[in-house]
Amino acid sequence: MRKILLMLLFFCGFLLSASAQQKIISGTVTSSVQGEGAMPGVTISVKGTTTGTTTDVNGKYSLAVPVNATTLVFSYIGMKKQEVEIGNRSIIDIIMEPEVLGLDEVVVTAFGVSREKKAIGYSVQDVKNDVIERTGNSDLAGAMQGKISGVDIKPSSGMPGASSQIVIRGARSFTGNNAPLYVVDGMPVASNSDIQSGSGGSFSTAGNGVTGSDISNRAVDINPADIESIDVLKGQAAAALYGIRASNGVIVITTKSGKNNAIGKPVVSISHTSAFSRVSRTPDYQTTYAQGLYGVYVPNSSSSWGPKIVDLPDDPTYGGNSNGHPGEFYVPQLALGQVADAWVTPQVFNNWNRYFRTGYSATNNVSVSQATAEGNYILSLSQTSQSGVALASGMDRWNGRAAAERKLNKNFSTGFSANFSRTDIDKLPTANDAALAGVLGAPVSYNLRDYPYYIPGDPYTDIYYRGGSWDNPYWAAEHTIFNEKTDRFFGNGFVNYTAKLGDKMKLKVRYQLGADSYTTDFKDVFEYGHAGSTGIIDNYGITSFTINSLFTANFDWNMTSNLTLNAMLGNEFDQGNQKTYSEHGEDFNFGGWAHIRNANLVTADESFYKNRTVGTFGSLSLQWKSLIFLTGTGRYDVVSTMPADNRSFFYPSVAFSFIFSELNAIKNLDWISLAKLRLSYAEVGQAGSYVQNYYTTPNYSGGWFNGFPIQYPMGGISSYIPNNIQYDPNLVPQNTKSYEIGGELKFFENRLGIDYTFSRQNVVDQIFTVPLAGSTGIRSLLMNGGKVHTNSHEVILYMTPLAMKNLQWDLNFNFSKIDNYVDALAEGVESIFIGGFTTPQVRAGIGSTYPVIYGVSFARNEDGKILVDDDPSSANYGFPMAGEPAVIGKVSPDFILGGGTTFAYKSLSLNALFEWKEGGQMYSGSIGLLDFYGLSTRVEDRESTFIYDGVKSDGTPNDIARGGPSDPYALEMLHQNVKKLFKKVDLGVSVFARNLLIWTALPNLDPESSQGNTNMGGSFERFTVPQTTSYGFTLDLTF
Amino acid sequence: MKKKISIILFTAILALTFWSCSESIMNEINKDINDPNDMTSKLIITDAMTASAFSVVGGDFNFYASIYIEHNVGTFGQFYNAEIRSSEPTSATTYNNTWDGVYANLYSLKLVREKCSEGGAEAGNYHTLGIAQILTALNLAILTDVMGDVSWTEALQPGVIFTPVLDSQQDIYSDIFSLLDDAIANLDKETIYLSLGNQDLIYGGVTDLWKKFAYGLKARYTMRLSLKTPAYADVITFANQSFTSADEQAAFNYNGSTALSPFYCMFRDRDYYGASQSLHNKLVERSDPRDAVFFTTYPNVGGSLVFAPNGTANQVQGAYSISAISTITAPTYLLSYHEIEFLKAEAYVRNNNLALADTALRKAVTAAFQKVNIGLSAAEAVSYFNTTVRPRFTANPLSEVMNQKYIAFFEEEALEAYNDYRRLKAMGNNVITLENPKNATQFPLRYTYGSEDVTTNVNVRTAYGDGTYVYTENVWWAGGTR
Repeated sequence: MRKILLMLLFFCGFLLSASAQQKIISGTVTSSVQGEGAMPGVTISVKGTTTGTTTDVNGKYSLAVPVNATTLVFSYIGMKKQEVEIGNRSIIDIIMEPEVLGLDEVVVTAFGVSREKKAIGYSVQDVKNDVIERTGNSDLAGAMQGKISGVDIKPSSGMPGASSQIVIRGARSFTGNNAPLYVVDGMPVASNSDIQSGSGGSFSTAGNGVTGSDISNRAVDINPADIESIDVLKGQAAAALYGIRASNGVIVITTKSGKNNAIGKPVVSISHTSAFSRVSRTPDYQTTYAQGLYGVYVPNSSSSWGPKIVDLPDDPTYGGNSNGHPGEFYVPQLALGQVADAWVTPQVFNNWNRYFRTGYSATNNVSVSQATAEGNYILSLSQTSQSGVALASGMDRWNGRAAAERKLNKNFSTGFSANFSRTDIDKLPTANDAALAGVLGAPVSYNLRDYPYYIPGDPYTDIYYRGGSWDNPYWAAEHTIFNEKTDRFFGNGFVNYTAKLGDKMKLKVRYQLGADSYTTDFKDVFEYGHAGSTGIIDNYGITSFTINSLFTANFDWNMTSNLTLNAMLGNEFDQGNQKTYSEHGEDFNFGGWAHIRNANLVTADESFYKNRTVGTFGSLSLQWKSLIFLTGTGRYDVVSTMPADNRSFFYPSVAFSFIFSELNAIKNLDWISLAKLRLSYAEVGQAGSYVQNYYTTPNYSGGWFNGFPIQYPMGGISSYIPNNIQYDPNLVPQNTKSYEIGGELKFFENRLGIDYTFSRQNVVDQIFTVPLAGSTGIRSLLMNGGKVHTNSHEVILYMTPLAMKNLQWDLNFNFSKIDNYVDALAEGVESIFIGGFTTPQVRAGIGSTYPVIYGVSFARNEDGKILVDDDPSSANYGFPMAGEPAVIGKVSPDFILGGGTTFAYKSLSLNALFEWKEGGQMYSGSIGLLDFYGLSTRVEDRESTFIYDGVKSDGTPNDIARGGPSDPYALEMLHQNVKKLFKKVDLGVSVFARNLLIWTALPNLDPESSQGNTNMGGSFERFTVPQTTSYGFTLDLTF
Repeated sequence: MKKKISIILFTAILALTFWSCSESIMNEINKDINDPNDMTSKLIITDAMTASAFSVVGGDFNFYASIYIEHNVGTFGQFYNAEIRSSEPTSATTYNNTWDGVYANLYSLKLVREKCSEGGAEAGNYHTLGIAQILTALNLAILTDVMGDVSWTEALQPGVIFTPVLDSQQDIYSDIFSLLDDAIANLDKETIYLSLGNQDLIYGGVTDLWKKFAYGLKARYTMRLSLKTPAYADVITFANQSFTSADEQAAFNYNGSTALSPFYCMFRDRDYYGASQSLHNKLVERSDPRDAVFFTTYPNVGGSLVFAPNGTANQVQGAYSISAISTITAPTYLLSYHEIEFLKAEAYVRNNNLALADTALRKAVTAAFQKVNIGLSAAEAVSYFNTTVRPRFTANPLSEVMNQKYIAFFEEEALEAYNDYRRLKAMGNNVITLENPKNATQFPLRYTYGSEDVTTNVNVRTAYGDGTYVYTENVWWAGGTR
């Protein structure tokens, strides 16, 4: 072995040459950054010549320079370029300092390998802690929003702890997971919700997003303040080494460790952030018409199609003018609440603004960290408490961390990272279970806040402006609980072995053993009296334990001064064990004791799951000068969750980059600092969750009904039916083939830079639960079906227009245009249901982008004009007619442009961030209902006639005027029957504060309020807690 | 030494790695310990009964039939749209849940039939087989009655046939009759298998009653085909082998805690119905004592009853009176005793045997008065029969039989009332008057197919088109082509 190496060295050495009239200069290059030490690969050149070399693995160099040479140039990407006078010296030692300007140039790639960014043949983008902490956002996803190209981050609502959806370069799965893998300090950790919103608390069924509450992502357990940096591996080539879990990209998080401290005394850092939030937008309410229907005041009506508010005293039944209370009207709810005088003067109330309070969030961090010659450690404790803008919503979170690393001897070092978190979130139910429905839809003539909301002496009978199965939101704030609590520990211990094998070779072996363990307990309570009934309680939860063992060996070899080789071999073993439980109780005996023991009808369930992934992987990289970089990787995965004989897969990737700026012709141009071309190709798969077909207890929840109208065991009798999802035993893994091409240019010492990436992904053999025709007897079959392709364009642009001693101005922009097309689904299937109501729904449809909104369309003539009903006897005379069910809207935005600017003077800095999402549509149930209930300003003019824009059956323009005095209810009819979609164009800006300004084409609401964490969540909204605008400040004290 | 340790360590890790991902280990890890992979037929068939009652007979088909047949008036949401014939009657999503529900139930029943037939794990379990055949016939008939041609021979093969073709209603009806005949034959056989006992939520395992149920269904479906193949004597023969009292009828009882009646849940959770003006009118016209039983004022709203005008009601909750018999335990009738007597009464009328028709009608009305959620006495029924029904019967026998049946069917049996109405219209017997003005052009002659098939099965998609065929095309037994 040794002989071969020597021979290779010999041949390589042959390439070296020397010439006369030279002198030899040698030295060592080290980094000023603690822990980095000697710097290999630093380029040293003689100014004005092409003579040069690079440092070896020990940071040493030796260079023959012409005797007339005066200056040496030391350069290394990410470090400040240094020009040094040679003078008479023959030994020149240099300490390189990190470059402050521009983006940091070292990125973390797979398995904790830090690499120069220029060496990478695919797009990676990082976010540093100062950027994360800048807006004091307690939510990690929110803190990243707008800062990374190619990534669409959708916060679901303004509720504390609300889930976010992060999708990198479009979706690859319709019904499965599209979330990236989170890797914290080298170990994959759980970041998704174990339950989908609207799945009724079920761990195994998909959520429809129409009932229940949002479920937080497990990423909520990560405290943004603990993060040192985030590297986002976007493409498949970047993620290929992580194998089967990484087809959606990887978010690599490095936490603070004290490593970057200057060697010396412990550093204590204390910080406090306060943020205040208000609802970001208020709907525009009409202020003319009172509660009622068809122009008549109806005191328990849900609608505001009543008389003019000023005319309320004239009402024959409830008006005071003819009943001895001139100028007043009678409110039966006041009488129910035993208020002495139930006669009130007509007034207009903005119930929306009066309901929401100012949210407050306080985050306190304390940390102690130290770096010494032998190692480093950090201890930190953080506490976040947040109260939401909606009553009874809030979050409390504690994060404790300890991490340390210590050198044992020349070769060995060891360390650990331990994280504990406790998260307690109080949420509000949304959509069909929403408490906010009554806030949004309250008639402006009704004083929702001040009128009594329960009967005195009978607190479990609520008083409300309307009937039906809804609760008064003030009553619900006291008697509806949607809570989740998580205790979590994750961390790892590791041993590193580093050895130099001769001058040119270095071996680094690392073994790491980690665990991620958490328990989440959910409690959903509708107290006694909910919807006039006797209440429902659901206690459910999950205990999850995952063990991760990781072995890696890295081998670096500077074969010649121009050729470097890096090889890696590794093995990963990952096993998860989960236990879930649920207790469902109905029919409380009495109110005030929301406990399962108070329920007369109780059912319980539990499940156990296991999964294992074993992966073996390797990579080989070659670097020629600083000019050409080539990397190939391969990973072989075996997963337990696939059918026998279809469990193992191999995933290759290859990446190439070429640094033009290292060519002599360009190198000498001062104004170009970097010019680079990247190419890569990769394949990554995704496994399905296969089990043998089974029988299950019939479930009668959903449809029209709340709770369970039929529940087994029924009077002691059980029954089991075939599960309505079946599993194809011939399932093979889904495969994503992607290629990526990109380039990067930097000018004027990195003060201006542009980075462009095009990527194409072809997803084949998509695994999803293919909806079967109902007539097959089964609802869906987990099988290989669809084909999807995605084209993505990403541009990053940054500049520093101003850089003076004390003053600096930075600008950066991230642009993404991601088009996701569905090419094929399963046999006979033209579109599949992702979520939603009876109509409209979110679906994936062939030939369309994914996802789309699907529903009953307007009937149109051949020219595409909307046909109106010209049958005078029809209820919809003059109104648009329903056509065939079709795609009626596209959800994904046309493009996303995020950007930020920082203006720094000495230690003061001013930041502004914005994110602009252009296009894309959403279904807003709330806005639709404002029209439906006669509350929006669009339905304020009820006296003029109107003509719906369309054509009659003979093709002539619609001239059927509806409305006006003779047809007073036409507007009401129209809005009760026409469902609308809204185009999203939104642009938010924050300066110090978050979400300060929002421009959007969506009337009345902030479009980042939606139904939560499912694949369809971002496109539907119905009574969701609105987004908020926050203002805050941070105090930092470090000593 | 160091090297040796490294090599041993490396080999150990390698061996461990391969062992840890061997197929047998992975199979063990992925084994589903939470759910059974096989199930005995008696635990499957229980829910086939529940689903037949709650989801199929008592489900959305019945809720919408209640509106079309004017037992209730849709006053909110989807039911209001159905009432004013706006989008709901033609949309494929309207009946999708029940469409899926019927087929899911037929699939469970198919597994039971296969298990209990030759070659199955429980071959020779004739009684369970017979019961499964009866329930299959019932589910299939309910489906084809509202939808016409539906998938049947190619249906129920998940993962094998993705786009089942449609079979003609005529062929399906001949299968329904063979299923019922086979069921009767199987129920007569001796078996070593234990009786279903408590797992039989309808008859507690009494096979004789299941046989009566099968004969009753033969009577109902023979009558259904009267336009095509009138066989009134057969109807009478079959009906005579069916129930002889309400104790024997195929009723699914809800216990009020783990099982709640569909109409009760519908009001509690949705509140989409108002009391029907036209039904009230029919009762007033007859001074029917049930007029005082059927309706009640909206909860917590006093005053007198407010009826919703059919087809022209306002979309409002809390304004109209509601049904008073949507009780929490109101049973779902898979086939009621009073229906058997009404079938006999109609058959006798058709055969001009008015005396026997009179007797059957009296028994039917008496049974209807004594439904658990009506609670009137036999004496009250007889007195009403003598003073009101008999004179009207004498004047127009068919009309009074069918109108009494229509009233008796309020509100659990709306679907059967809807089937009767369409059959009578097709036979030229325009004896039941509906008042919704939309019926002039927009009476739903049938239901749309489920959207789950419209979106995934091209055969159904083609048949569905844009859904407007529901206003123009009768099903086969009502004179249509499909």
